[in-house]
Amino acid sequence: MTTQADQRLRFDTIWREHRHHVLAYCLRRASSADAEDACAETFLVVWRRIDEIPPTPKTLPCLYGIARKSLSNQTRAFYRRGRLHAKLTNLGMAPAADPMLVVVQRADDKVVTDAVRRLKPLDREIVMLDVWEDLSRAEIADVMGMTRAAVDQRIHRAYQRLSRTLEPAMSISPTISPPIAEEGGT
Amino acid sequence: MTHDQIREMVRRVNPIPDPSMLEIVDVPVLTTPLERRTEKQIDDKPGTEVQADRNRRRGPLVGIAAAAVILIAGLVFFLTRDDTPVAEPAPNATELTGGFQPLAPGAYYADTDGNEETTTRGTFVIEGDGWTDVPSGALKEGVGEDLVALLVVEVDEVWSSICEPTAPVAAGTTAADLANQIATNGLTVREGLAPVNAFGHNGYHLVGEVPAGCGGESKPAWTGPVFDSNRWYDSPEMVEYWFLDVEGTAVMIEASWLPGSSPEEDLTELQAMLDTLVITP
Repeated sequence: MTTQADQRLRFDTIWREHRHHVLAYCLRRASSADAEDACAETFLVVWRRIDEIPPTPKTLPCLYGIARKSLSNQTRAFYRRGRLHAKLTNLGMAPAADPMLVVVQRADDKVVTDAVRRLKPLDREIVMLDVWEDLSRAEIADVMGMTRAAVDQRIHRAYQRLSRTLEPAMSISPTISPPIAEEGGT
Repeated sequence: MTHDQIREMVRRVNPIPDPSMLEIVDVPVLTTPLERRTEKQIDDKPGTEVQADRNRRRGPLVGIAAAAVILIAGLVFFLTRDDTPVAEPAPNATELTGGFQPLAPGAYYADTDGNEETTTRGTFVIEGDGWTDVPSGALKEGVGEDLVALLVVEVDEVWSSICEPTAPVAAGTTAADLANQIATNGLTVREGLAPVNAFGHNGYHLVGEVPAGCGGESKPAWTGPVFDSNRWYDSPEMVEYWFLDVEGTAVMIEASWLPGSSPEEDLTELQAMLDTLVITP
């Protein structure tokens, strides 16, 4: 049985090690205000269920799963009057509105962004977990509550769909080209 | 183009490539309202003692009412079924993705379960501007209090009441089950559950209004298998439903508007969408 001091120590460790990743996860999917709320809510759940949070390396995927649910709870309100505009401008994968978080996009990046945005929401989320959160297929399966095989299938289809969208765009725009070398990442 | 190339292109548009650059100044604040809300939404699942107790108290009456409604509706339905020829769906329809993007006038279809391995879909034509692609359908939010929406969905879970916080339970697997669950969830019924043949399929029709004090964030109504497909109502809101049996799959069509405040032109566009709606298995 863990003492309250142990729980506090564990929570502090999780908070220190993963808060940036959880906030980034939320900011990639929601407006700044919603992302902050979802991040706070995620760690609130962590605090309440600290004994159920798995140890590393499963901690972060577990936090993403909680954050996803928190964001989903917010999303349920999208039909509510007065909230839709904010969702329109931020939901999905748009950068947050804060100037400090806005990244300068190349023109061809918009083509890629739009292509990802047009994926089905579930496929989009899996692609984002794959590329932006850099999770393994098994970790994505944990976060999404799916089988590994289902994740593989979804990713395969999503990339096929992206390929069908992006290849014609590449052929008519000389500014769009596949990347040569990997940079950045999470 | 290889998958690795696509992966790199997607990686390049990551709005936050390096989370460590984020500055977090606040520790999580454990405020009472948030704590209550989180506890409700995260913990309040089917099978809890609270929910079990509510179900025990409600169960017999709701069950009897449900059986009576379905029995009568089924009988009337059998006697009044309409074999009107089914319209063809609009050609070259674009799939709705739920991406919250503006929709130009044109033909669109909603995949009712978001699963590419199944084919059930609802196809309709949007005639006006200002509509938005939302999970499972299209929505138009106008000036002020305007809000009209059309959703074509399958339903996974329903809440037994939209007037008090409850936990979700599995939606019934038939159109009749689903119709009964929605019809008894606290909506003020304006047109009672009645059998119809609509959009090419047999089922049930219902019109309800969200009563004052019902709906809202803590009192959702349903969720669907389409990612992020779910619904909270607000009062006042009028909702017209068709619960259809589409070759064994229960499909719900939900048209909603705000009585007295949705402009006539938006209602006309919503009606045009319904007039062109075709559900294909």
